[in-house]
Amino acid sequence: MKIVVSKIRTWTWATSGLLIAVGVLAMAISWMQFGAPLKPGLDFAGGTRLQFERDCTQAQVCDTPIDLAVVRQVLTEQGLGSSSIQILGAEQQGLSIRSVPLEPEIRNRLQSNLESELGAFDPAQTQIDTVGPTLGRQLLIAGMLALLVSFLGIIIYLSVRFQTDYAVLAIVALLHDVLVTAGVFALLGLVQGVEIDSLFVVALLTIVGFSVNDTVVIYDRVRENLKTHGDAGISEVVDIAVNQTLGRSINTTLTTILPLLAIFVLGGETLKYFALALIIGFVAGAYSSIFVASTLLAWWRERQMPALKTAVSYGEDSDLLE
Amino acid sequence: MYGKQRFLLAVIIALVVAALVVVSQLPARLGLDLRGGAQLTLAVQTTEAVPEITPRVLEAVQSVVEGRINGLGVSEAVVQTSGNDQLLVQLPGVSDPEQAERVLGGTAQLEFLAQRPGTEVQLPIEQRLLAELLLERSQLETAEPVNAQELAEIREKVQRQEAEIAKLYESTELTGDRLRDAFAQAPAGATGSWRVVVQFDTRGGDLFAQLTRNIAGTGRTLGIFLDERLISAPTVQAQYAETGIVGGTAEISGNFDAQSANDLAIQLRGGALPVPVEIVENRTVGATLGRDSIRRSIYAGLGGLVLVLAFMVFYYRLPGLIADIALCIYALLTYAAFVLVGVTLTLPGIAGFILSIGMAVDANVLIFERTREELQAGKTLYRSIESGFYRAFSSILDSAITTLIACGALIWLGSGLVRGFAITLAIGVCVSIFTAVTCSRTLLFLSISIPSLRKPVLFAPRKVEAIQ
Repeated sequence: MKIVVSKIRTWTWATSGLLIAVGVLAMAISWMQFGAPLKPGLDFAGGTRLQFERDCTQAQVCDTPIDLAVVRQVLTEQGLGSSSIQILGAEQQGLSIRSVPLEPEIRNRLQSNLESELGAFDPAQTQIDTVGPTLGRQLLIAGMLALLVSFLGIIIYLSVRFQTDYAVLAIVALLHDVLVTAGVFALLGLVQGVEIDSLFVVALLTIVGFSVNDTVVIYDRVRENLKTHGDAGISEVVDIAVNQTLGRSINTTLTTILPLLAIFVLGGETLKYFALALIIGFVAGAYSSIFVASTLLAWWRERQMPALKTAVSYGEDSDLLE
Repeated sequence: MYGKQRFLLAVIIALVVAALVVVSQLPARLGLDLRGGAQLTLAVQTTEAVPEITPRVLEAVQSVVEGRINGLGVSEAVVQTSGNDQLLVQLPGVSDPEQAERVLGGTAQLEFLAQRPGTEVQLPIEQRLLAELLLERSQLETAEPVNAQELAEIREKVQRQEAEIAKLYESTELTGDRLRDAFAQAPAGATGSWRVVVQFDTRGGDLFAQLTRNIAGTGRTLGIFLDERLISAPTVQAQYAETGIVGGTAEISGNFDAQSANDLAIQLRGGALPVPVEIVENRTVGATLGRDSIRRSIYAGLGGLVLVLAFMVFYYRLPGLIADIALCIYALLTYAAFVLVGVTLTLPGIAGFILSIGMAVDANVLIFERTREELQAGKTLYRSIESGFYRAFSSILDSAITTLIACGALIWLGSGLVRGFAITLAIGVCVSIFTAVTCSRTLLFLSISIPSLRKPVLFAPRKVEAIQ
């Protein structure tokens, strides 16, 4: 199998552009709905989430499923009517409540009111998450800052190891992957109400690391080929490099995604969307390295070619042109 | 050449044995999301009197918080500073943190009380009783297995005993907000002991003089209470019976060493600080909640990994098998490194670990793809493997470093779970460079020293045949 990526670059670029455009549109709509490009979860918006499970070892507690109306009424009595309520589990014996941040006393009163209506809860199955609004903002800023710092660090490292144009294009490919992933989650947020949490930021950063990997492997090969087949056109060199590394790109993506796919399909709730974000990001990463980063490099160097020749005649390095 | 291989093999075997010992001897530290418990983040608020939270302020508040946590009697509770103005409190096994939240919030209460007349004999007896109870409590807390009922009883006894002691004192007007500073002072001569110096403001100095005049030379003590617990009970010498200790500065001397003097000074400073503490985050996970969901995630991840191992053998043949062995060694070494470094394993941490295994596979894939190419180019088996490793190394290094850069940003700027993930991924990436380059390489060269395995077909089945 041999693919000539430079021939189909109009199509692959258009596909990427379309994906990103849809994602950006989804982010714009969710900006209007939630005031943020992605639906912020508890970690960023602040609030309290309570999760209870009835203690089924006690007689009669679990005879009937939890009645949503009863829960809603208890909450309304305490002025928390705007909270979102979810009944959990196949037997409908679990309860999840998301509200504004609650003081310990208020939370305790709510819990005992719920217990007197619904029966005792099992303390070993309880989960309480409270995040103050200021802390949520801090977490978000720290996450965004981490993303920016890693971008910068990667640009500097790649500029040193390769050349500035490689570094900038690697970052373009990386932005592509981050935007595609964020776009899909913006859509999921609109359609399915999926919220993003700290783990989503972690996923984005992991995607950053892995996506640059993929691109670097191909660029590494391009650089090597430029030394050995320097006389061939840049597009041809890039095509050769992509095909040489194709097996690796596919196999690595496959072996990384397999465990993630298993976690997404079979794993528990907590890691489900984390795994999904990584899967989307890694697939986008492989795609962008093979079809986008490589052809962008060829396109850029072709544009620079005439200038490059003059530079060579002056005995200058192509880096000095910028 | 063979000598070097043999040496590397010995190193690998030694490392594996060492890792096995570490893993079997030291328990892994599980995060609260895996074993249940409450994690609270406290933000120290600034006030007009304390406009900035300096490290010294934070340290003082930390000691107050630690004192309150000790009062709760949660075993293995941890209090850490986090950022410039936050404290992280971990309470393993606590599923109802309401009590903790109640005692942790609010401002510390430091009071200077005078011992009631007629209690001179009773105080040392009560203090000895308390010391015995505290000793018993710490023994019970560290005992394996923990006897929860006895522990609860002893905690209640400790509280009752503390209240008993507090009854021996009567209140004065002097409270912590009059205390300007407190610090430990090194002994003046070679033989002296450490002292704690306390300084009051003007009004505090007057109150202190009055308080010390009343008890000087009587054998009764001045009781310093932090959050209603006696932290120090110095006596005042008879020479101050006329005027009391005037000037607003006093020294507490006793059997202090540098450590204990400093501890007391920090406690005093913390008690004097009018900074409120607010709980900004509370993450509580019941002891069994999510255990199923977590176990499912881990099993699913492991299942996926088994598929990866099978794929490697199917696609890369003998090198794939060797890579699988190297991956098992990798997983063992990385896990041992976690235990040794004391990484707290959280759910995202485990996800980071599983991902780093993916990275480790990548390093092997890079090498074998390269080896295959070299074989196709007509090189000998030995030369192909050699240059496969050599040429793939720069890609492996570049990809590892870019991942480490992202990890570094997370470790630097992230907190809690996010940092846990980044640390596990970073350790994993570092170990993977070692195992891909050392283990796979050594084992591969070892295998081709066996004649029956020295067949190109075992390395790149179809393609090589096609070329021949």
